[in-house]
Amino acid sequence: MIIEVWTKEKYAKNEEAGFAARMARAGLPIKAARLSRLYKVEAPWTRTEFNRLGAELLTDNITEHYSISKRPGIKGCYRVEIWLKNSATDVVGESVKEAVHDMLGRSPAGVRFGRAYYARCASGEKLRAVISKTLMNEVVNVCSVNKL
Amino acid sequence: MKDLFSKFTSLSEKDLVKIDAAYGWSLNAAELKQAQRYFRKIKREPARGELESIAQTWSEHCKHKTFSGPVRFSRRGKVKKYKNLFKETIVKATRELDKPWCLSVFTDNAGIVEFGADRKWGLAFKAETHNHPCAVEPYGGAETGVGGVIRDILGVGLGAKPVLNTDNFCFGRLDSKMKLPKNALGAERVFRGVVEGVRDYGNRIGIPTASGGIYFDDGYLLNPLVYVGCVGLIPADKIEKKVRPGDLILSIGGRTGRDGIHGATFSSANIDEETSASAVQIGHAVNEKKVLDVLMRARDLGLYDALTDCGAGGFSSAIGELASGTGAHVRLENAALKDTKIEPWEIWVSESQERMILAVPPKKLAALEDILNSENCEYCVLGEFTSNNRLLVTFNSEVVVDLTMDFLHEGVPSFEKPAVFSAPRVSGRAPRKNKKTCLQVLKELLAHPNICSRHSVITQYDHEVQGGTVIKPLQGKSGDGPGDATVIWPHSATGNIGDFSGFAVTHGFNPAAGRLDPYQMTLWSVDEAVRNLLCSGAEISRTALLDNFCAASPKDPQVMGGLVLAAEGCYDAAIGYGAPFISGKDSFYNQSKDAAGKDYPIPLSLLISAIAPVEDIRRAITMNFKEAGDPVYLAGLNQKGMGGSVYGELYDCGNNRMGPVNIKAAVKLYNALLKAIKKGHVRAAHDVSQGGLAVTLAEMAFSGGLGAKLDLGAAAAEKGLSDTELLFGESPSRLVLEVAKGAEAEFVKLVKGLPVGKIGSVDDGRSLSVKTGRRPLFSEDVNALKACWKRELL
Repeated sequence: MIIEVWTKEKYAKNEEAGFAARMARAGLPIKAARLSRLYKVEAPWTRTEFNRLGAELLTDNITEHYSISKRPGIKGCYRVEIWLKNSATDVVGESVKEAVHDMLGRSPAGVRFGRAYYARCASGEKLRAVISKTLMNEVVNVCSVNKL
Repeated sequence: MKDLFSKFTSLSEKDLVKIDAAYGWSLNAAELKQAQRYFRKIKREPARGELESIAQTWSEHCKHKTFSGPVRFSRRGKVKKYKNLFKETIVKATRELDKPWCLSVFTDNAGIVEFGADRKWGLAFKAETHNHPCAVEPYGGAETGVGGVIRDILGVGLGAKPVLNTDNFCFGRLDSKMKLPKNALGAERVFRGVVEGVRDYGNRIGIPTASGGIYFDDGYLLNPLVYVGCVGLIPADKIEKKVRPGDLILSIGGRTGRDGIHGATFSSANIDEETSASAVQIGHAVNEKKVLDVLMRARDLGLYDALTDCGAGGFSSAIGELASGTGAHVRLENAALKDTKIEPWEIWVSESQERMILAVPPKKLAALEDILNSENCEYCVLGEFTSNNRLLVTFNSEVVVDLTMDFLHEGVPSFEKPAVFSAPRVSGRAPRKNKKTCLQVLKELLAHPNICSRHSVITQYDHEVQGGTVIKPLQGKSGDGPGDATVIWPHSATGNIGDFSGFAVTHGFNPAAGRLDPYQMTLWSVDEAVRNLLCSGAEISRTALLDNFCAASPKDPQVMGGLVLAAEGCYDAAIGYGAPFISGKDSFYNQSKDAAGKDYPIPLSLLISAIAPVEDIRRAITMNFKEAGDPVYLAGLNQKGMGGSVYGELYDCGNNRMGPVNIKAAVKLYNALLKAIKKGHVRAAHDVSQGGLAVTLAEMAFSGGLGAKLDLGAAAAEKGLSDTELLFGESPSRLVLEVAKGAEAEFVKLVKGLPVGKIGSVDDGRSLSVKTGRRPLFSEDVNALKACWKRELL
């Protein structure tokens, strides 16, 4: 199950502007953007338990939303997911795994941390090329780009 | 390749080289032959773990073969031979100076100098590089670089408490248009990743990152340099450590995995498309914090006899080093592992992070285990130290390594390296007229990436944690001016808030000067570092230095020639300033193939890090103008020449002469100025370095939010000095001082007979006006100057 956490819109201007500026410097103008954090929790648990992790462990309720199904509402955008390869140590994932155990008294098989970027732009291919130059490193990351 | 390996002792040189490339050892043919001779002599084939151990132990990273090997330097028809370049220059200076306040030099993980009013403390300082990992994975490389140097401080003596991290970076220009090879990351990608890595590790572990610098030059496009340093406090009676036979070998901290295999040997290889992901990893600051907390408690209870960090080479290097005077039996089946799909030799050489090795007397193990468990810190007992001078490593019944310590540590063959140096042609003619006005040039210089504000980087770091950062990296009225040195009051480590002893840390660095004259570059860098310390009010007669050399392949005689000249500069500077080197590190093979397949080396880069005590942190000073009406003085001789300057990079001025450092005159001047600072006569001091005098004056003015009317006509200057050289030349040993107006007479007495001239006074206007005699040079609103300087790098 992937729990997705993103900054509430009213607090997200800086991170969105920073992302758009980086893309623009790399040659790709972005019309709209949202950023989120992804926690892939590998466990055969109920949605209620995943919702509890999202609400009580992974989200700052004042500044952030979480979801285990919905996506931010930007129409006609691309969704970029970047994860560490399984062979790379995922420090955030390891720490979250310990925290999950402390909270639920059970450990998931694993937790991996990743990031998602939602971008409305002219070309998915160009976006993929720019992402590979700016946000991901093929040595340690895996990446996917999908049109929503 | 396994077939070849099983016949190692009978392989031809060609096959030895082939097998070396396949296994990634980075040993040369002579070293491989030496290993071959050893196994022939003991009449058996080596195990994989044995050759891996030899490769790690003999690597450039661990053995520093270039610097500690023989060199034949030819120049202008003369030949000078060195048996050991390092010992005959840098170490020699320290030995000759023989300062009683140097408590441990060149023997442990870091240098240690005496600290504190009661002399009960040692100040440990170490800097090292993590260049190759950062080129491949900037975030992980920088994180593990910081983690590694912190562990050096944790592993010095019986363990020092880290109180300050330092960071110095060299990147390619962010606006570079050069086509990169397929495997290379762009400069901005590297820059961001490195800054984020240093930030995340330092902030999470709770150590302030508060001193450093960033330098941009296209020479670093394919090979960025990431120097990370750490300062720690250790009780003076905890510096000695000694492994005793019978002590248990305890590994604490992180688990061992397949990550980081061949990191030590990787640092002696060129980065190319085949570079393996296993050579880089991601750090885990929280695990290292647990180790730190355990060590500080266990050290004070005397629960271990010795320790060291697991760095390059992993267990192989750490246990091999601790056992070098005894011997050890390591049982790898006891290692705490991240995963089970790992070969025994991989456990032995894995460089998994956040691990320390302790030598623990068996009767103290239980007490140590209590502390480890209370801090939730993982550990495993790997074996014991012996007295048979052998390194025996087993995995259940399998022998992984069985080598004599003598061969492992002393067996590496040395070769004489040829060194030459052809200096570029130097022109000392007057700089060509510039079509731009002095003000236009000044504004361009202020916005130059090597001069402009580092605000967007510095503010990502927690430079306040531990509550002891007295003089911060950003200074001035609005807390955003560029400081010369950081001053730390380490009360969180000493626990003594009645002792106001502190220390200042700073750096000197100028590879642009090194392209012209590596010897003068070194003098300039040491001079700049000492001057920066002086500008904070530190006791410069107790300056201790670190040398961190980075260069391209030492197989190139010209690279070696530059290195020899820089090392000779280190000797002369250390003796002249009375400032011993206490520790250092080198990194070679910083070169890659460019997009056209040609070698692309970095320029010779020497980072000088300097540390000195501040007797009373309450009297430390900063760089910004403080009060209207205060007189402004320029100290030091303004010399002719634009060599090594940022101006020279921007404009083709036809002059590349570098003003030489007159160490004797500089020391005399600095000692007099320190007296004035200690007496409280000086309110602000700022060194003249990158960008020259005009930039220094602008920075002091806009950081203080005050104007000044200045006439440079009274400044001490070489005859025939042009306005360009006066304003934008970067000749050494100069600084600008704001003197308290009520103390001017006293100040003048102290500097009588020295090249110190009054150039004007601070005023409460908003304009910085500079002239020389009757000739106006520039006049501008200080906020406008600040706006040019305060561009965001990130």
